[in-house]
Amino acid sequence: MKRFLILTKAMTLMHLRNGYVLFWNFVFPVLLMLIYGVVMSQYMDYMTPGVIVLNALSFGLVSSSTMMLEMREKSVLRRLQATPLPAGQLIGSYLVVNVIIGVLQSTLIILAGVLLYDVPVTATSLLLAYPMILAGLLAFMALGGIISGMVTKSGTATAIGMTIYFLLMFISDLVFPLDMLPNWLRNIVPYLPAYPVVQLVRSSLLETALDPKWLMHLLLLGIYGISATFIAAKLFRWEPKA
Amino acid sequence: MSKPIIDARNLIAAYGSMQALKDVSLTVEKGEIFGLLGPNGAGKTTLLACVEGLHKPSQGSVHIGGINVQVDSTATKRQLGIQLQRTALMDDLTVAELVEVYAALYEVYLTSGQINKLLARFDLVEKRNTLARRLSGGQQQRLALAVAIANDPQIVLLDEPTSALDPHARRAVWDIVRQLHNEGRTIVLTTHAMEEAEALCGRIAIIDRGQIVASDTPSALIANLQLSSMLKATVELPLEQVRSLPSVNNARYTGQHLEMETAKPEVTLTALHELAARSGSSIRDVMLRQPNLEDVFLKLTGHALSESN
Ligand SMILES: Nc1ncnc2c1ncn2[C@@H]1O[C@H](COP(=O)(O)OP(=O)(O)OP(=O)(O)O)[C@@H](O)[C@H]1O
Ligand SMILES: [Mg+2]
Repeated sequence: MKRFLILTKAMTLMHLRNGYVLFWNFVFPVLLMLIYGVVMSQYMDYMTPGVIVLNALSFGLVSSSTMMLEMREKSVLRRLQATPLPAGQLIGSYLVVNVIIGVLQSTLIILAGVLLYDVPVTATSLLLAYPMILAGLLAFMALGGIISGMVTKSGTATAIGMTIYFLLMFISDLVFPLDMLPNWLRNIVPYLPAYPVVQLVRSSLLETALDPKWLMHLLLLGIYGISATFIAAKLFRWEPKA
Repeated sequence: MSKPIIDARNLIAAYGSMQALKDVSLTVEKGEIFGLLGPNGAGKTTLLACVEGLHKPSQGSVHIGGINVQVDSTATKRQLGIQLQRTALMDDLTVAELVEVYAALYEVYLTSGQINKLLARFDLVEKRNTLARRLSGGQQQRLALAVAIANDPQIVLLDEPTSALDPHARRAVWDIVRQLHNEGRTIVLTTHAMEEAEALCGRIAIIDRGQIVASDTPSALIANLQLSSMLKATVELPLEQVRSLPSVNNARYTGQHLEMETAKPEVTLTALHELAARSGSSIRDVMLRQPNLEDVFLKLTGHALSESN
């Protein structure tokens, strides 16, 4: 346990000392809220959960997967593999660090929503929303794990992650309502990974209620999360070269 | 002789279709400094990777302290202190943090005092709160060594610990390696510098193209080949004529220098002077030297240690 804590502290420090990571993880989400506040000021209730989910999506698909890839690229993983540290503890520690960062980001976005745009949030709604955010984060990180297992360079992972992120962001009811989409697309979107998360987060945050289809959403998310974890574990590599 | 502390048998290792180790066997005794000497691409890093449990050989086995690496790599990793060829630490951590975390990975928990004591050995105390990526090359190399022994291992594996270091920094690393040896640790290091192998290692294995071509003490390797003395001179003469001089076993040019292997240097030198006088060339910088590991390598592999790939 002590080993796990020291490793987790080290990984946290390592990421918090990186200015680039700090900006994209903590400054950018708040900037995003400010920008949306300017262009869509009367929709910020609807937008805030959307921004939480799109941020979680980019974090899982891009930031957290690049974090792992950079450790692999720089042979840090290789060096860790040479120690008696079990792989499970390394992954566990990485998950803890990333979940902390991801939850902190969501908190910043909620704070911005409440303080700047009077988004109606209560203690109970937060209690309900955080587990949903967490579920989304974990599923998105597992999907990011597939990307980092497939590619060699972190640049490639960023490009792939960004592409998927942008596609999902516009069609998943995050920032544009579903009825703006053509019919055929509207029927597919509910089965994509971002849509269930935003339904769960939006209903719990704004209405302090579970979305009517919550069970179906969670089930779908679970399927994505578990199968992605399984594939990511299969693809996991320690060494930089293929 | 006691049981070897590292016992590698008949290792075959490949990357795809490229065979990096072709039936390599090696034993290291407890408390010795063992050197793997070979050119780029010889398979040194791959051999260490098999011992470290980082590369799974397609055939053969490695035992460390009697434990099979493939059976219980956690137990074998625990006994090792490791420095990889590419220094790959988490460079956004400070020097002291890195030592602490790498010791902790072996479930060794160092106090701040212990960390300072360790850093003092490597002349890194003033740098304890400096980020690893802000260190100079030599300092990073010393940090990698400090990290390698943070868990107080009995066996230390160092992959080219002095490459890319200036002569002064290189000597500092040699001193550290000797200290570690004096503390009773077993050390395996790789190098492509024959003077390093000669200066540091009790025994060496010469490795080339995935095979160990010889293994012994440096002096025995040189003696066993019964190489004669090497006569060096700066002169331009046709090689066939030089080779037919009395007592010359072999001759070659390295750059402008003519190198002759000779059983009787005085006889050869006199004859060389006569030959030069006849053909009107002048001889400069005559030097006689003892054969070294470089000559052994050349004799065994047919190519030079420093130029092969
Ligand atoms: N990850 C890899 N993928 C493919 N081939 C590799 C890989 N690592 C090493 N090789 C090849 O295996 C052979 C042995 O490499 P190795 O790194 O063990 O040599 P080395 O003796 O350590 O060389 P150097 O002195 O340059 O470090 C080389 O031909 C190299 O090209
Ligand atoms: Mg090497």
